[in-house]
This record gives sequence, structure tokens and C-alpha cells, in this order.
Amino acid sequence: MTLRVSRRQFFKLGAAGMATSSMAMMGFAPDPAIASIRHFKLTGAKITRSNCTYCSVGCGVLIYARGDAAINNIDDIYHVEGDPDHPVSRGSLCPKGAGLLDYIRSESRLRYPQVREAGSREWKRISWDEAFTRIARHMKDDRDANFVTQDDEGNTVNHWTTTGMLAASASTNETAYCTHKIARSLGMVAFDNQARV
Amino acid sequence: MTHAYGNAPTGIMQPPEVRLPGDDHFARRAQRLQALAERNAPLGEFLGFMAQLATAQQVALERATGWQPDPEAFRLALEHGMPPLNAQALQGDIDIQGELTALLGALELHVGEAQRPLIAALRELPDATLKQLMAQLLAGEAGDEQHCGLMPLIAAALQVAWQRLVQALPHAPARPSGETRTLCPCCGSPPVASVIESEASCSGVRYLQCGLCATQWYFERSLCSVCEQSGKLSYLSLAPQTGEGEDEATAEAAQAEACGDCGSYLKIFPRTLDAEAEPLADDLGSLALDLLLGEEGRYRRSGFNPLLIAEG
Repeated sequence: MTLRVSRRQFFKLGAAGMATSSMAMMGFAPDPAIASIRHFKLTGAKITRSNCTYCSVGCGVLIYARGDAAINNIDDIYHVEGDPDHPVSRGSLCPKGAGLLDYIRSESRLRYPQVREAGSREWKRISWDEAFTRIARHMKDDRDANFVTQDDEGNTVNHWTTTGMLAASASTNETAYCTHKIARSLGMVAFDNQARV
Repeated sequence: MTHAYGNAPTGIMQPPEVRLPGDDHFARRAQRLQALAERNAPLGEFLGFMAQLATAQQVALERATGWQPDPEAFRLALEHGMPPLNAQALQGDIDIQGELTALLGALELHVGEAQRPLIAALRELPDATLKQLMAQLLAGEAGDEQHCGLMPLIAAALQVAWQRLVQALPHAPARPSGETRTLCPCCGSPPVASVIESEASCSGVRYLQCGLCATQWYFERSLCSVCEQSGKLSYLSLAPQTGEGEDEATAEAAQAEACGDCGSYLKIFPRTLDAEAEPLADDLGSLALDLLLGEEGRYRRSGFNPLLIAEG
């Protein structure tokens, strides 16, 4: 990262400097204004650029979060709006995108991997490592059992039709490439993207 | 497209990249300053005077004047992406004495006793000193303490002069690019503050506003107007000292866009919070935010407001 500071001047408009400011020199007492700041404190917000999660258009959004690391640590998202600078969406959001705040704050939002064992009624929280291991195990077992190398007429097909994959939409080209390679290398044919949902 | 339920968007938003101030710009600013004076008691008298000053600027602007720049020079500058009203280049050409005389004449009847000596002092100011102070203002310098009280009035005359030049432009210049993105495309001055629009044609778009000629130009949201970084930006505003209201979204219209990378801030006024905001007027009206930020000391101010000059 290069930090580029143009030859701009900086000013300090503090209480100490007000006595010699143009305001005082013009005959307006700065004291009431200086006294008024005792009733206030600084409150901070952050605005972060992101992409809407829903579809492959990938509209730009600005996400507002309360809190400024140095003042307080409440990291609470309170507003989401379209990013007017985004080259694709130019500030527009569809009704789903406009409701992103409710999605972020949804009580039923999935925040970590969970499993419901066969026959159980309970969802159980598991670690990411455990989740990956279980998914890989299921995939391997199913593929070993159902992989088809040749069809009835003896043509080589090498496909795996009993497991499918639904990939995410707002992915980069690189992610999409890798996802595609993984699914197709396994012989998976039921493969779609959430962009079409 | 209008239908029973309101208006439907009609295609892709294409906000103007550079907006020139209208010919009633000072009158509108005066109106805004007056409104701010009425709701801000600690600064009421000061803002009321600034409203009178803006009214006088409008009167001074509307008088006829002799010198007009060469249209060919405008055309050439616009064609090559140079600021056509370059503050440094044109300072020798404008009739500052004439503008100042007209401004003081319009202002004289409306000022209080405490401000009369300023007008008298300005009328007796030697030409060379006036030129020197003018050069300092155009360079964004605070000048010496002795003339500190006169500077805002000279700056007001300069604003009238540049407003006149803006009105002579055949069309708005293109948006500045590269290294000059944060400088005014008309006169090359740094911005005084910025505003986020709320109307449908440019909803959510941010414009930086020039402190001299009041031209507004497009600048991306959530980006520092000094170092163009976005990683450590915070939007700071005033909240009541009492703990109440923590749960509500920040409703204070004046915010400081403060950058942790270069340690500077510039005020930003979202019109969704106050539709009538005028960057220069609201910058004066939100002095308390500067004072609190000054006390806190983490960030320095990058906006030069020629109508309120403190230490350089």
C-alpha cells in the first residue's frame, strides 16, 4: 500500500485556537460554542464496501456499522444501502438486496456448521474441521458406491449422478474456476449455481 | 415512469460528474446560514452575520462588471482537462478591489457595531496588502494574526469573483482524474466539505465542494479525500453526553470523514439526515464537531474554510 498525501495543509480548529481565530477577531465570542461541546461526545460509524450475497449480478452495497475501534467496540451493523459508485449496479438494489439488513440480523441465520444426525430431531453444532471431514467421508462413500464408468452400451461416461452441488453466486472468476474443476473432476453432473435460483 | 404507486426508476442512474453552482447560489447559502443561526444558539450571532455576508455576496454578484476572461482560454483549458479558472493563474486578472468595494457597500447597512471597524479597516487597506492577503487565501494559508479578522471578508469577495467566472464558463469541466481527483476541476482549490445526495437522479452519490468557487465534483463514497485510502475511515459525529439514544442510529447530520491512514478529516453531510445541507454553511454551523475533534487530537482538519480561519 502506498500512502499518498498530496501537498494539502492541515488545520487544528481546537478550543485553544479559537481566541485568535477570525471569528473572535471579527467580534464574535467563541466561548459559548466552546462551552457547548461539554454536552457532547464523539460517536463513530464505519462504512464498508461489499457485494450483495444473493445473485450473480453482485450488486455493490455499503454496509454501515456502529462503532469506531478507538472509541468503542460495538460492531453492530445498522444500515445497508446500494453503492452508487459500483460499476454494475450504480446504487440500485432489488427488493431482496434492499432487505439485506434483515438477512444479516436474522435470528435463524446460519452462523456455524450444524448437523442433524439420522433419526435425530436436534441440530448439533460441530467444528468446521469436523464438518469438512464428514462431508468428504459422505462424498467418498457415495462416489465409491455409485460411480459409473460405462453406460449400458459400453460407452465410457465416468460420471457420478447420485450427489449434486449448488455453488455460491457472488464468487470471483477464480473461485468459480476452482469450484467447477472440483465438481467436474469428481465426475459430478448435477451441478448448478445459486445465481439461477 | 409514473404509476398509481409512485415513480418507477427509469434505467441506470447517471449522476452528473461536475456540478456548477447556480446563479442564486449565495442567496441559497444565506438562507441556509440563517436557518442554522436560528437553531444553533451558541453560534447564532456569528452565523447570522455570515448569512448577511452571503446576502451581500449575492448583491455584489449581480452588479455588472467589466473584465471578462477570453472565451478561447476557457475552451483550450476545458479541451485539455486543465482547471479553466485556476486560482493561481487568474488572481492577477480579477478586480478584487472592485468586488470588495461592492461587497462592503452591500454589507455595510446590516452589520452590528462590533463589525463596523472591519469594514473601515478594509476600505483603508493598501492595495499591496490586499493583494498579499488575497494570495494567502488562495493558497489556503491562514495569514498573520493582525489581519485575521479581515480575511473572511476578503475571501467572500474572492468567492464572488470566482462565482462570476464560473458563470462565464461555456460548460462544466470534466471530472478531474489521477493525481488531481481531490482538487476542484474549475479552480484547483481543495474541497471545503462534501455532501451525499438523496434525490433519485443521484441518490447516495457524494460530491466534494470547492471552498472558493462552490463547484461540486463526484468523488467515490467511503474514500479519504486526502490520501484516497479507505481502510481506516471512520464517520464521527456528535452525540449527547448522556447515555440515552445509544440504540438509535446516529442522527447528527454533520459527520467527520476521518482517515486513520493520513490522520485527517473532512466533513460530510448526508442529505438523508438534513435535506437542506449546504457544505460551506453547514461546515460553519458544525463548529462544535471541529472543537471536539480538536480537543481529542487524533485527526487534523483538511478542509480550508476561508470564512473561518484559525491557526494554519
